[in-house]
Amino acid sequence: MTVDQIPAPAGATAPGRGGRAGGDRPRTSMTTRRHRAFYMFASPWIIGFLLLTIVPMAYALWLSLTTYDGISPHWRFIGLANYRELFADSVTWDALGRAGLFAVTSVPLSIVAGLGLAVLVNRPIRARGLFRTLLYLPAVVPPVGAGLAFKSLFDQNSGAANGVLNIFGIDALGWLADPYARYVLLMTVLWAAGNVMIISLAGLQDVPRELHEAARIDGAGAWRTFRSITVPLLSPVLLFQTVTGVIASVQTIMPLLLAAEPTTGGVTAIPQSNYMYMMHVFAEYFALGRYGYASALLWVLFVLILIVTGLIFKFTSGVVFYNVDPEAKK
Amino acid sequence: MHAHAGGPMSRRRFLTVSALSAGGAAVGGTALSGCALPVSTGVGGGGETVTVMAKAEDISPELIKQAQRDTGVRIVTVKHDITKLIAMLTSGNPPDLVRGVGAVDTAYFAARDVAENLDPYFAKSSVLTADDLDPVNDLWRYDGRTQGKGPRYGMVKDFSQDSMYWYNTAHFDEVGLDYPSESEPVTYEEWLERAKRLTRRKNGQTIVFGGSYNGLYEATNLSTLTAAAGGSLFSDDLSRIDFTAPAARKALGWYIEYCRTKVGPSVIQPDPNAWDGPTYQASRMAMTNSGYWLGGMINTDEKLAKASRLAPAPVFEGGPRVSPCQGGTGFWMPRKARNKDAAWRVFEWFFGEAPAKARAGGGWGIPSLKSLRPLMPAEQDYQRRVLRAQEAELAHFSVISFTPYITADGFKALFNQVAPAAMKGEISVDTLARRLNSTINEQLERGKEQVG
Repeated sequence: MTVDQIPAPAGATAPGRGGRAGGDRPRTSMTTRRHRAFYMFASPWIIGFLLLTIVPMAYALWLSLTTYDGISPHWRFIGLANYRELFADSVTWDALGRAGLFAVTSVPLSIVAGLGLAVLVNRPIRARGLFRTLLYLPAVVPPVGAGLAFKSLFDQNSGAANGVLNIFGIDALGWLADPYARYVLLMTVLWAAGNVMIISLAGLQDVPRELHEAARIDGAGAWRTFRSITVPLLSPVLLFQTVTGVIASVQTIMPLLLAAEPTTGGVTAIPQSNYMYMMHVFAEYFALGRYGYASALLWVLFVLILIVTGLIFKFTSGVVFYNVDPEAKK
Repeated sequence: MHAHAGGPMSRRRFLTVSALSAGGAAVGGTALSGCALPVSTGVGGGGETVTVMAKAEDISPELIKQAQRDTGVRIVTVKHDITKLIAMLTSGNPPDLVRGVGAVDTAYFAARDVAENLDPYFAKSSVLTADDLDPVNDLWRYDGRTQGKGPRYGMVKDFSQDSMYWYNTAHFDEVGLDYPSESEPVTYEEWLERAKRLTRRKNGQTIVFGGSYNGLYEATNLSTLTAAAGGSLFSDDLSRIDFTAPAARKALGWYIEYCRTKVGPSVIQPDPNAWDGPTYQASRMAMTNSGYWLGGMINTDEKLAKASRLAPAPVFEGGPRVSPCQGGTGFWMPRKARNKDAAWRVFEWFFGEAPAKARAGGGWGIPSLKSLRPLMPAEQDYQRRVLRAQEAELAHFSVISFTPYITADGFKALFNQVAPAAMKGEISVDTLARRLNSTINEQLERGKEQVG
């Protein structure tokens, strides 16, 4: 009897083969099984990402190289002409500048407001749950509803805001026109600061209580504790909010909802201070039918978002504090 | 730490992926709207099915049931949306009938060869006969150069002459102004003067708008005003615009003055109701530039109906009387529609049978078939009064050509981008005219190139 002919003892595994005991089926290593499980769980997202993001992005890239308008018979390939036009288009750059300005004002304001509210409702106060709910409620109001509410509230002739001013003998203001429209837009952002609050609140509850107690014993005051313990431990959360906030703010659609006529053709009737990049994209796509040019605008925005995100990571790498080094090798 | 199967994704990596996904969604999500996504026709069950792209108010669920009873054809509706229409046309799966605005859509779709020539269908129809068609249906004709001539691509469901205006006599009484004539037009300058006197303000708020005059679209309003000043907004081949030409300059100047004086809603003084109806009904507007159709709303309030008058379209001093229809909403049939015969049956039924008769009696527009005119509401004195004014105005109807090289929405978007500065007095009307020429002609040039 050769070695090969010796029957394997019950429960033993044939060398070099996976599978169950007995060696009748190939065995799968733990690593392979884990990889397989990972891809099975991740596949719905990956498939969705490929079909609903990568494919349309590639399609948009192709469109950006053409004069396609969706319906006309004589569209053609024009190479990078749309990109060249874009870089020379002052309306585009003005719109981008306004979007950038909106991002650098609205994101810090909403983070500060949200964090402040989170600190407040994290304290042991009566009816804390009620306050948390009330403060978060605006964040769950659909943007269309919020837009209509703000429009009614700030209408020059019939809005409550001017009603209040009139009580104090102040003449009505054209809130939804320049130069006030930008402030109304900022108010809509702050009104929905509950979103930032809820994430900051989760972060605050993750801060170890013993660190605060140790600081207090060492004689640190409330502000010092907040600045030296709470904020560093919250910094990953704040970074997340900054990145997603910047991305969301440059894509905001709220100016259109606040507009006099939130329609395809009415998109440019938005007060100039609120005519931001995505409004311009919307107008080029749907009012002017310039699918090629609008796709080029979107691709440029995509690249800019990547660059800005990269810069945020680069400049915050020294100030964001992780409890566990996320990049450390095990 | 590297993300691996079964292990947690690092926060940094999660943020990176989130940022990439969100950025990608910005490109991908919007681009998707332009993709040629197949849209189901909803065909199924027995009998023929016709897909109609319409707004909810065009075809109610009751009307759909009635269509099945009357014609045996099942109607499936798709909400009217230009991006969806483009997607359906591109994917070769268009609706069988599509809502459209004859005044501004006919040339656009016909020139792009996506609309079916309906002349052969009209020729065979015993319901929609040539001698019964109101001239307003010429809005749906285009011969490649001129709107109003050539093959028919659609039909109007009902219409108004949209340069006319309604006024509320109570406001005129309040400020001691004579009522405008219901048969003879005032000049645009007189209209604006009256609007100024009728406007009431308090604490920086406009309590009563003296008058609204925005037309249905900026493009149709300005081309009508230009025609009333004795000119044409578009060149003969419809490929260029010239606001510096005397008639167009006069029209533009008048409209900018209307906006600057803030006697009525405009892009720099928006009406929160977005249209005149509720404001006029609430007695916060003395004159509204709306045609006969607004009577459908006014007549629901007897007090308001008795105080309201319908007046002819104004004229410019020495200019012609021009009173076109700026809308002419109806349906057209895509050239690649799959169920053309069934669609035509629905078309005939909608425009010539029970629904058309019901619309004619509703007072929301003038029927597009002459034979249905006797059904227009005339039971009350105020209804007869309005009808007389309207019937006299029909003599001044004409079709004003709209270019196939830009959409009304596109015109509006470009106009609104440039004009507010002039409305606020920051630039002169002449500067505005030159800027409009530049920006709109650029778009017209693109459109012409694409139509070929």
